[in-house]
This record gives sequence, structure tokens and C-alpha cells, in this order.
Amino acid sequence: MLDQILCIDDDPITLMLCEKVIIKASFSNEIITAENGEEALHYFNTLKYTNTENQLKRHPQLIFLDLNMPIMGGWEFLDHFKSEAFSEFKDIKIIILSSTVDPEDREKSKAYPMVIDFLSKPITLTMLEYLKNKI
Amino acid sequence: MKNKTNQIIIIYILISLFLAIVCHKLLQKFTYNTSYQNYNFVKDLLFIIFTGIAYKLILSKNDNQNASIVEKLKKTNEEIKESNEKYDIVAKATSDTIWDWKIQEDNFNWNKGIEVIFGYTQEEVGSSSTWWFEKIHPEDSIKMSIKLYSFIEQKTENWQDQYRFKCANGSYKYVLDKGFLLKDEEGKAIRMIGAIQDITKQKEEEQRLKLLETVITQSKDSIIITEPDFKNSEIPKIIYVNPAFSVMSGYPIDEIIGKTPNIFKGPNSDKEEYRKLIDALKKKQECLIETISYKKNKEEYWVRFSMIPIYDTENELSHWISIQRDVSEEKKQEKEKEQLIRELTQNNKDLKQFSYITSHNLRAPLSNLTGLLNLIEDIPIENQELKEIINGFSKSTHLLNDTVNDLVKVIIIKDNPSIQKEAVLLKEIFENVFNQLSFQIELYKPIIKLNFEKVSVLNTNKAYIESIMLNLLTNAIKYKSENRQLKITINASEVDDIVYLTFQDNGIGIDLERNRDKVFGLYQRFHNYPDSKGLGLYLVKSQVETMGGTISIESEVNKGTSFTLTFKNKQ
Repeated sequence: MLDQILCIDDDPITLMLCEKVIIKASFSNEIITAENGEEALHYFNTLKYTNTENQLKRHPQLIFLDLNMPIMGGWEFLDHFKSEAFSEFKDIKIIILSSTVDPEDREKSKAYPMVIDFLSKPITLTMLEYLKNKI
Repeated sequence: MKNKTNQIIIIYILISLFLAIVCHKLLQKFTYNTSYQNYNFVKDLLFIIFTGIAYKLILSKNDNQNASIVEKLKKTNEEIKESNEKYDIVAKATSDTIWDWKIQEDNFNWNKGIEVIFGYTQEEVGSSSTWWFEKIHPEDSIKMSIKLYSFIEQKTENWQDQYRFKCANGSYKYVLDKGFLLKDEEGKAIRMIGAIQDITKQKEEEQRLKLLETVITQSKDSIIITEPDFKNSEIPKIIYVNPAFSVMSGYPIDEIIGKTPNIFKGPNSDKEEYRKLIDALKKKQECLIETISYKKNKEEYWVRFSMIPIYDTENELSHWISIQRDVSEEKKQEKEKEQLIRELTQNNKDLKQFSYITSHNLRAPLSNLTGLLNLIEDIPIENQELKEIINGFSKSTHLLNDTVNDLVKVIIIKDNPSIQKEAVLLKEIFENVFNQLSFQIELYKPIIKLNFEKVSVLNTNKAYIESIMLNLLTNAIKYKSENRQLKITINASEVDDIVYLTFQDNGIGIDLERNRDKVFGLYQRFHNYPDSKGLGLYLVKSQVETMGGTISIESEVNKGTSFTLTFKNKQ
């Protein structure tokens, strides 16, 4: 079981679903949510500066990321997140969870090494079982 | 001759003398006046001598005259003889066929040429003018004889004519015939001599050149010939233009000869193209350019024109030939086409984007619904009515989800014109497909015959071909006949790099007479089966065609259905 998971999605129903399914599958202890890329980056920035130096930083081990979001979408988030500024979070694995059907999106995701999978909504118990094996 | 004259005179004198003496002796005998008799005798003698002398004078004068006439005749004879010899030599030496026609007697003579050039034997050659006329081509004979007789009647000065003359082998030769008349003292034509020259080669060459010339004069392309000299960056001067050029440029032929094609250049002409042309002219190389050109009235037109260097036998540049074509219409169409393609591409792109956004926006709430329903499944519901409602809600949601997913599949196939292909083992494809359908196969135990001996490898997209086969197999199982065991035969063969896959079942079939147009259509259903959506064959056709293949169907109700798929088995 993972310790902490971050779900980034602008749709509250999707977030609610994520929480419920993740709890049901006992996939993670804690679930944090962000409504868009900017909010998520803000969260990581706060983490960066508030964490005490000697203590092992507690941060999400996995991110479920939507692509189409207002203010800052998934791609823009990835571009920021992979930069030097967030290098201390580079071992965080990301799973794109989207409703997109454009094959180009799937291709595009391969350019980001931290993206380990590209899955179609909705989140399901089977999906989490599969991910448990993958991580 | 002289002796003869003397002889005659001597004989005359002797006979006269003898008669005078006889008369004298008779008179002496029968008369008695002797002195008178003597006197008479002397008179006779004197008369005889005088007449003798007179004869001598006349005869010798005649003799002289005769001698000079004979001399003249002799000379003439010799001249004739020499002339005849000359004629014979010339007749033998010339390659012409010479004929000699005595007009009044209609006697016609030919020299050796009639045998050598036209192939007649001596026996075949006729001796009258009729034979000659018979050998003249029927199309030429009337015109020829009119000219000939008008010459013989001396209405025209000279005679020469071209006509076709028949050879011994039946073929015709083009000849040039020149003739002269010989006239008698009254100026009447009595004899005609002619020389026939074989001009078949020249004539054929002439006709060939004429034919070739029509290419230039009749061509719809403009043709210009220029001088070779290239000076001061000016295109060499024009020495010939064909009629098509006048039509295209509006310049009359006589106005353009001697000018340089630089006059067709104008403000909108392509300078880069002209530079290319000048460069090629300098290097004496062929070149092809496209530019805006100007007519005489300064109207613009697009011209595509080539310059080709022409070399003479000494390998010196002798001319340039330029072939030009007005391509304004082509250019216009090209522009319109480009514009159309741009618009269509943009439209397509917009539509594609639209369909992706639409399906994304449909799928987002739909996936939430599905997710929520998944959660509800685990919650026990006591209220029976609520349970029914949620059940219906779940069914509808899943159906909607399937539909959206199917449509997404279609969009993705349609958006993928150049998909990746790889060499795939046919056997492998079917193993995968059968694995996916193992449940149904176990259940219905169809007889499946595979015949892949002729083709083992297919160059194709693996995911597509598996999807196609899965769809066809699923259909065969779904629409099997209840009355007989399902039998599926799959054959593969290859002809000229085209692979033919036939897929045959003995199921319930489709009434093609009514439905042929709709078989591969989207959302076309032919049987009222609960899980039939009318999408399978549409997807199959889309996938086959995306890979550059074709699919056709034959079916008979209650007998079965067979599909034939073709694929190009090359990259």
C-alpha cells in the first residue's frame, strides 16, 4: 500500500470517485487532490519550502493526472514538474488518467520519463490491482 | 567519171563517123555529082567534131557538179553516223531511261534503262506508245497526257512531267520525264525523245519532310527557332516561328523574325527563371523554365518553355529550338487546387479536432457515471424499485459507453491513413484470435478449416488484421445456423503480390439483393439480435481500406456467407 497519492483533476466527481475506489482497493493511506496543474505545483512548492531539512520529506509517491483542465492543463504541469526546480520530486511516478481518445496524446506522453502509464477513465478496482503489480 | 565522159564522146564520134562514112559511100554509088558529095561529107565530119566538143564541155561541167554533191552526201553521212554513236554512248552511260517515239508510225523504242531500272525484260517491253501509257499510274495518266499532247501540238514550249511509272513487279516509281520534239520541214512533230529519271527516293524524302513539317506547322505548341549566337545576355534572334506561336503571342510571323525573345519579358516575369535560361544558354545546355510572358498587346500569360541546342554535323551549335506552351489555365487550376487542398486539409484537421474534443467531453462524464455505477454494485440495495431503476440506469450507461467507444474506434481508424505495417505470420494471427474466442469455440465447437500453405506471411498491421479476423469470426459464430454445425473455411492465396483471404461460413447469410449497398455501412443491422450493433463490418471495411486492401461479400440466405479480402503484400 502506498503512503500518499495525489489526484489532479478539475472534475469533483472524478476526484470523489478516485478517493472512494482508492480507499476501497486499499491502494493508498492518504489521498490529496488538486483541481489543476497550478494548484498541484503550488502544493509541491509549499512542500519544498516547509519541510524541515533533516526530516525525510513526506510527499506523494504517485500522481493521477488529468490532461484537460482549466488554468493549467496536464501537459503544462508535466513541463514544469520535470524542470530542475522540482528535481527533488523526480522519483514520483505519474499516471495519466484521461478521457482523451486522440492517439497523439498517448504518443506525446512517451516523451516524459516519469509518466509510467496512460490509462482511460474511469478509475476501477481492476486498474488499481494492475498498478499495484506495476509499481 | 571523166573517163566515162570521154568514152561516151568517143563512142558518139565513132558512131557518127561510121554513119557519115556509110552515107557518103552510098551516095557515091547511087549519085553522080561527086564534088557535092565530098563537100557534104566534109560538112558532116565538121558537124560531128563540133557536137563532140560541145558534148564534152556540157558533160564535164555536169561531172563537176555531181562530184561536189557526192562529197556533201558523204560528209552528212559521216556526221549522222557520229551522232548516232554519241547517242548510243550517252544512252548507255546515263542512268536515265531514254525513249524514242516516232509519232506518225507510233513506233516506240526504249534504251536499257527500262530493263535496269524498271525490271522489264526485252520481250515484255512494247513497241508502241500505248505500252508507255499503260504503265503510268491511273491517277497521273490524264493530267500527264493532257500536258504531253499540248506539247506535241506545240502549244507549250517545254515538256517535263512527274508521274508514277509501273515497274515489272507491279510497284510504282516516281519519275521525272523530260522530252524534246523533232520536227520535219513543215514544222510538224514527227519524233519525240525523252529521258525518264527515277526520283522515287527524292519524292519519298520530300514526302517525309513534308510530313515532319506538319508537326511544326500544325502543332498546338509554339515552336521557335533562333540563331546560335548568344551575346550581351540577350536570347538569340528568332529566325522562325510556327503559326501556333503567332496565335499564342499575338505577334505576326513577319514582325517577330529577327527579334530576340527578350521582348516577351515584362515586369512580372520570373527573374530567377530567366537567369536560369541565360545560364543554360551560356553553357549551351538544354533548359526548361516557367514564367509569366507578355503578348503583343502586353497581356500576361504563363508559359512553359524549353530551349534545346541543335548541333550540326561538325558538332557546332547551329540553332536553338524553343518549344513553348501557354500554361495559364494549368497554373490557374493548380492554384485553385492548392487552395482547395489547403482548405480541405484545414477543414479535416478542424473536424478531427472537433471529433476528439466531442468524444473527450462525452467520455468524461460518462466515465464518471460508469465509475459511480461500479461503486454502487458493491452496495446492497434493499428497496426493490430503486434496484430496478439503478439496474436500468446501469444498462443504459453501459450501452452509451459502448457506443461512444465504438465511435472513438472509428475516428481513430479514419484518422490513421498511414499505419505501421510489419510481417506477420498468418498462423499467429489466428492463434491470437482463437484464444480470444476460446469460450465461444468451446461452446459451439465449429469445424474450422485453415488453408495457409500458399501464403504464410502477411505484411500488415497486426492489431488491425486481428481485429478484422476477430470481427469476422465473431460474426460467423453469432450468425450461425441453428440447424447445422457451424463450418468455417479460411483460405489464403497469392497472385502477383496480392494476397487473397477468403473467409467462408455456412451460417444464416444476408439477403444481398436487398442489402448489398448497406452491408458495410455504419449502424446497419440485418438480423434482430440483441448484441448486434451494426458496427463490426463497418469497422472491418475501414480497417481493410486503411491498410490499402479491399473487401467484398457473397452471401445467400440460409446457405452462408463468404468474404474475400485482398491485400498488397508489398511495402
